[in-house]
Formats: sequence, C-alpha cells, structure tokens
Amino acid sequence: MQLPPFEYIRPTSLGHALELLAAPGGRAAALAGGTDLVIAMRQRLSTPAVVVGIGALPELKSFEVAEDGGLRIGAGCTLTFLAEHPVVRERHPSLAAAIRSVGSRHVRNTATLGGNLNLPTRCWYTNQSEDWRRARPPCFKTNGDICYVIRSAKECFALNSADSATALLTLGARLTIASASGSRELPLAEFYRNDGLAPTTLGPGELVTAVHVPAHRDRTAFIKIAPRTGLDYGLATIAAAVTGSNRKVTSVRLVVGSIVSWPAPLPGPARIIEEGGLTGEAIEAAAEAARGDLGEVTNLYSSSGYKRRLVRALVRRALEDIRRQKLPAREAA
Amino acid sequence: MKKQFIRLTVNGDTREIAVAPNQALVEVIRDQFGLTGTKRGCTSGSCGVCTVNGAPGEAVLSCLELAIEWDGRSLTTIESVEQNGQLSPLQQAFWELGAVQCGFCTPGLIMSAKALLDANPAADAEAINEALAGAICRCTGHIKVKEAVARAVEVMAAANAVKEGSDGAQG
Repeated sequence: MQLPPFEYIRPTSLGHALELLAAPGGRAAALAGGTDLVIAMRQRLSTPAVVVGIGALPELKSFEVAEDGGLRIGAGCTLTFLAEHPVVRERHPSLAAAIRSVGSRHVRNTATLGGNLNLPTRCWYTNQSEDWRRARPPCFKTNGDICYVIRSAKECFALNSADSATALLTLGARLTIASASGSRELPLAEFYRNDGLAPTTLGPGELVTAVHVPAHRDRTAFIKIAPRTGLDYGLATIAAAVTGSNRKVTSVRLVVGSIVSWPAPLPGPARIIEEGGLTGEAIEAAAEAARGDLGEVTNLYSSSGYKRRLVRALVRRALEDIRRQKLPAREAA
Repeated sequence: MKKQFIRLTVNGDTREIAVAPNQALVEVIRDQFGLTGTKRGCTSGSCGVCTVNGAPGEAVLSCLELAIEWDGRSLTTIESVEQNGQLSPLQQAFWELGAVQCGFCTPGLIMSAKALLDANPAADAEAINEALAGAICRCTGHIKVKEAVARAVEVMAAANAVKEGSDGAQG
C-alpha cells in the first residue's frame, strides 16, 4: 500500500513543532517512531496534510533519574532504550516488562513511549486496508453510524492496547502535555477514557512531552497473554502494584489492558486485597470480582466469555506472583 | 508534495537523492540505490523482510521509515554482509544448516540476526528468540533459523578464541 501524499516538515525545536501542530483543522500529525502512524497512513486511517517529524527533537529524548529512583522520561525515548535501561529494569520492573512486550524488537527500536501511550484504539473492522473497509458502510470509527461489533450499539468499542499504560497507571505516573499556548501536568489516570472514538483527553494541537514515574518500593507484576509472544497485540494484559507486606497491604493497583476501550482499573479486586491482605483466599475472591469492574466486554478479537476468564486468571496470576516476591529491602535510614 | 534532497549513505555509498515525503526508506533502497536484497513485504511492520541496520546492532524496518527522515544518516543492507566473496559466519551457518527455503525472508532474518550479534555476540536462546520475533518465514519454520544463529555465535566465539590465542603467542 502506497502512502498518501503529504508535506513533511522537520521542526527545529519543540516550540516550532508545537506551532506546526497547532495548525487549524487538526491537519498536522506528529510523527515520532512512526511504527503506528505510517501503517495508519498506508491504510488511510490517517491522512494528515502535514507530517511533523518530531523523532529527532532532543527535548523529547531526555531521560532523568531522580536520587530516589523516580524517572522523568522524554516522550521520544525509544522503547528499546527504556526496556534495556538498568534503572528502569531494577527500579520499575513491571514497566520494563510491559515495554518489552510491545511489538517486536524491530518495532521497539524506533517506537517511542509517547507513541505507545497514544496508540489509537483498534478494531477488526477498522484497522484494515482501505479496500477492505470500503466493502461495507463505515462504522462509528470511520464517521459512519453503525458498530459491527455490537449491532445495536450507539458507540464505538475499539480496544485500547497501550501496554506501557497499564504498568504506568499502577505506578501513579503523570504526564507533561504541551501545546503552542503552554504546558500542563496531568495524572495518567485522567488521560484515558473508556471511549473507542475519543480514548484520550488530549486536546487538538497538544503533545505528550514527558512521563513522570514516581519512586516506589512496591512489588509489581506485568503479564501479557497474546496469540504469539512476539508482535501480537495482547488478548489481555495486566499490571499490578502492591504497597505493603502480604499481611499488611496498604494499597493495591490493578489495571487490565486490551479488554475495553481504556486501560481499565480494577478497584473492586484491589479493595478486596487491601482489606483481606495477600492471602490465597483474598486473591481468589479478587479474581472472581474482576468482571464487575470491566463494563461491557465485546467479542472483538476473542469471545467476551474468554476475555472475562483471561482477566480472572491474570488477576490471580499477578497477585500470586507478587505474593511470592520478597519485600524490597529497606533503604538505610 | 515537494521533493526534497537528502544525503543518504547505504553500505558506505553516499548519494544525494531527491525523495518525496511519502517515499518509504525501502523504496529508496530498492529503486534509487538499486539494492533489491531488501524486500518489500507486508509494509506494515509485521513480517521483517525489509529489515536493514541503522546503527550497528539496530534492526530497522525500512517499510515504516520515511526516507526523508534519513537525511544525513547511514544504514547497511544485506548486500554489505558478504565481504570479498566470503560469506559471513551468519550466512555460512544459514547455508550449512539449510535455514532457507524460498529465500524471500532470508535477507530480513540475516539483518535481524546480524543486529543482535553486533550488539550481543554471546546471544543466548532467549535473546535470539527476541531478536527474530519480528522477522517471519512463511515457508518452513524457525527452528533451523534459530539453530543457524546459535551456530554463528559458536563459530564466531571459536574464531575469536583462536585469534586471541595467536595474538597472545605473538605478544
């Protein structure tokens, strides 16, 4: 598939890039690693008039480690760089695992963290070639008025498969978002919406420029179930973080990906563990309770019943994994 | 859609060429440099047959790269792997173990494995799996390919040991 025509501009600075992205009508697209946008352009899912090549901007490539192990990650850092960085691997292992699960080594060499967080929601009926899509009337995602996944639906159920987001959400990450008129900080938890058509709160002309990961001493886990270990999007993923010991759990965060239109938090199962501790019984109860927090689960990519069972299994596995992990050593006071 | 001039180095050959914004790197390598060892396959990053190496140790999918972004950069393709008519240890291992069938995916597999071995000459089975997960053979399977990469690791380690031994004797 040939790429559609467009103008290409390589901005000289982040400020220049933001000015270009502020072009009216949203006809400019930011290209970082391009591992998703170039495919979307080949499939005519995205046909920007101007492509702004932000991949080489040094402002987006910075990577800073605070003394306490917290991170400030430029959104343009590649996934390979992050997955192999010793501080990410040692201090934030679930994040390293989540990033390493994205695509293939080839893809991760150029794909960026900002790109993965902004991964468009996907659907069997949309993410196809233009010819394939043209064979039937357009769906909500392509400006039509039907959903092929749920015929009676009035909304879009495309899936969010941003693997890095699940881990970052359990770690309490924050974003810096910039536009031509300034910048703002936003908890990652307020970035996503369970809406296939508008999966993020990113405004027109805005760009995620940095990701802040606070220092933590949590025990964490990330698990991805996919048809193949390499390249495939998840059928279901989970990230988990537990603060405290097995007996005295002070906080639990559980987030599942690739199930609905956002990385879905599971507050119900988390509360069960916070109240009951990391015991076999509480973990079983948490796994059973997971389906209550998912909302509408569709038959997209696999049956809804199978997906609910996957989530139950993943909650159990992630929590059992954490239960067996040693508590991180206390820092010398 | 204006064409722009870029300066691109492929296998040490630097050229100034005019490219349109919507030309993928793989098209420039094949059509303007005339190096057809790099294949055009799925053009969606799933099959790996277009793999080239950017920096040594870096596998790049040339179907997902805009050529215009490669101004001032350099890359290597499958054509650079054989030196003076001599197959590289990696190619030799593919040949000896029969890790090919129709051969269409072989350049991508070799360039994916070469990136791995350039970065990690002592790659173990897990590293080989990871490096090859994005390069796919549809004829046969991946067992012989993985065996060939593991064989290349052994052959290169043995060659280095001999070299270090003889260097030591001379010193």
